[in-house]
Amino acid sequence: MGSVTLNNIRKSYGAVEVLHGIDLQVDDGEFTVLVGPSGCGKSTLLRAIAGLETISDGQISLDNEVINHLPPKRRDIAMVFQNYALYPHMTVAKNMGFSLRLAKESKSEIDRKVRAAAGILDLVPLLQRYPKQLSGGQRQRVAMGRAIVRDPEVFLFDEPLSNLDAKLRVQMRSEIKELHQRLGTTTVYVTHDQIEAMTMADKIVVMRGGHVEQMGSPLQLYDRPVNVFVAGFIGSPAMNFIDATVQNGTVITPSGAILGPAPDSLPDGSAVTAGIRPEDIFLSDSGAETTVGLIEPTGAETQLTLRMDGASLVMTTRDRVTLSPGDAVHIRVTEGKLRLFDTQSEAAIW
Amino acid sequence: MNSSSDRWLAYFMILPVVAAVLAFVIGPTWDVATLSLTQVVMGQERGFGTLGNFRALAADPMFTLVLKNTAIWILGGTVLCVLTGLAVGAFLAIDSKMTTGLRALILLPWVMPDVVTAMAWKWMLHGQVGVIGSTMQSVGLTEQQISFLGDPDLVMWTLVVVLIWRKMPLVALILCAAIRSVPNEQIEASRMDGANAFERFRFVVIPNIAFSLTAVTVISMIWITAEFALPWIMTGGGPANASQIMSTYIYQQSFEFFSWGVASAMSVVNLVMLMVIVALYLYVNRRSWASGAAS
Repeated sequence: MGSVTLNNIRKSYGAVEVLHGIDLQVDDGEFTVLVGPSGCGKSTLLRAIAGLETISDGQISLDNEVINHLPPKRRDIAMVFQNYALYPHMTVAKNMGFSLRLAKESKSEIDRKVRAAAGILDLVPLLQRYPKQLSGGQRQRVAMGRAIVRDPEVFLFDEPLSNLDAKLRVQMRSEIKELHQRLGTTTVYVTHDQIEAMTMADKIVVMRGGHVEQMGSPLQLYDRPVNVFVAGFIGSPAMNFIDATVQNGTVITPSGAILGPAPDSLPDGSAVTAGIRPEDIFLSDSGAETTVGLIEPTGAETQLTLRMDGASLVMTTRDRVTLSPGDAVHIRVTEGKLRLFDTQSEAAIW
Repeated sequence: MNSSSDRWLAYFMILPVVAAVLAFVIGPTWDVATLSLTQVVMGQERGFGTLGNFRALAADPMFTLVLKNTAIWILGGTVLCVLTGLAVGAFLAIDSKMTTGLRALILLPWVMPDVVTAMAWKWMLHGQVGVIGSTMQSVGLTEQQISFLGDPDLVMWTLVVVLIWRKMPLVALILCAAIRSVPNEQIEASRMDGANAFERFRFVVIPNIAFSLTAVTVISMIWITAEFALPWIMTGGGPANASQIMSTYIYQQSFEFFSWGVASAMSVVNLVMLMVIVALYLYVNRRSWASGAAS
């Protein structure tokens, strides 16, 4: 069992508070991803769980046992670092077996466990090599192997893929996910890449400025973001935001183009920020008038940048596009897909 | 591109260094080597091509004592210098206001001139008026004031202590810098792996600074072998040759007794010994300085 509960975690460096009371529940076997822009406190939070960083206030519990004051080695948590942090003077086998050696396990037992972990990660032929003789992806696997051999309650990953090239990153992403499905160990994974978060997570925690903005399953966050920040952060290409007002039960742009119906609760004349996902815009014979700016085909789909009321609007379509820049087109928003946010508080209205 | 003229240019460019090394290193060494094979009587050369100097050296009863003292001086000095340097360096590597100040202060013994250091210590260790002996006596540690430099059993080790006081700071600073450059992530990874402070030092820090450790050990050994002013001024090899080491004995033989031949023979022995020790050490530690653990 390995469920992690964070209760009102606060962390200050002097007068600067970087974590403002984080509450988080990670269930046993769950793959939780902490995501957010640089400096949002996600790495600090992960390091606090690891025990590498002290916290100023709050409670960290593992299986309902408070572990705040335990040193890292007594927490039964393993961590994979961004720069792998392999010991350069040890072979792959020694690197992976180091924790067992410190725990005074017998040589044959260490050997058995290291071989088992190496088998899972396809590292057996590399066991006698040194880290500098390995490629980036192999080093990353060794770093994971080092975590696996300990058979811990919880795995922590601190941006493990950010040093890899794009192709390898996609491959390692699925390897980590497969590994999690195979071992079923509770995992907390930190990244700034929302695609990693979307593809890997059971639960995503979006953080900003030391606060949790929203947590939930990837699709929950995608479909029902609670505010403009989450809506803009999750999804690629990002959601379009347009300043709009409510008039006669419809949402209209400053130039008067109708985007869709407004909820009854909003009085006429209220200012809102309309949020539309690129794939929820489609070309039509009538509707809001726009001009084609950029056309970027990616093969499977085409991304169009449209100009409307001096703002840019991105849409994607799976149809083959025969337009050219400067053409005037009409667009509509798929029914029920228009999101509205309060212009002042940026919180979701609808 | 004319490769032959390039080569001549390259030779021309290194000419000054080659000339300097020939004039100031190879030349004198060659001179001493030939002198060691020449019979010298009262400063006058009397025929080349004899092993008489080496025979005289082997027959010299003093030479065994000098070898023993030199072993204490070089090996004891180097080992203790590196060990204390490592301990002090590890302490200075800790981040705090105190260590920041200490890092600058600790160089003080190292920048003082040899003569000043030697004279100051000589007086502090003096048998009658020395502040160290009298303090130990007044607080009741000893019944009588110890004459550190006058006791044949103590003098060699006392010299080693002063030597360490003088040479250790730079070793400590070099090792401190090396320790501070150990990647923090490795330290954190080892904490996650369950290593305590000692295990982190032993299994992560030491292997990471192995190259610096080997380098300062070899450098210290060479410094200490070459150190002459400190023992010469403090004891002059006394009492009764109890602190006579290679460098002081060679000096005495050449410039007080004018036995150039024997002194040169001793220099040759000294050089060969040092080369053998350093070569052995580098061989044993070849993994740490051959720029990588993998072979």
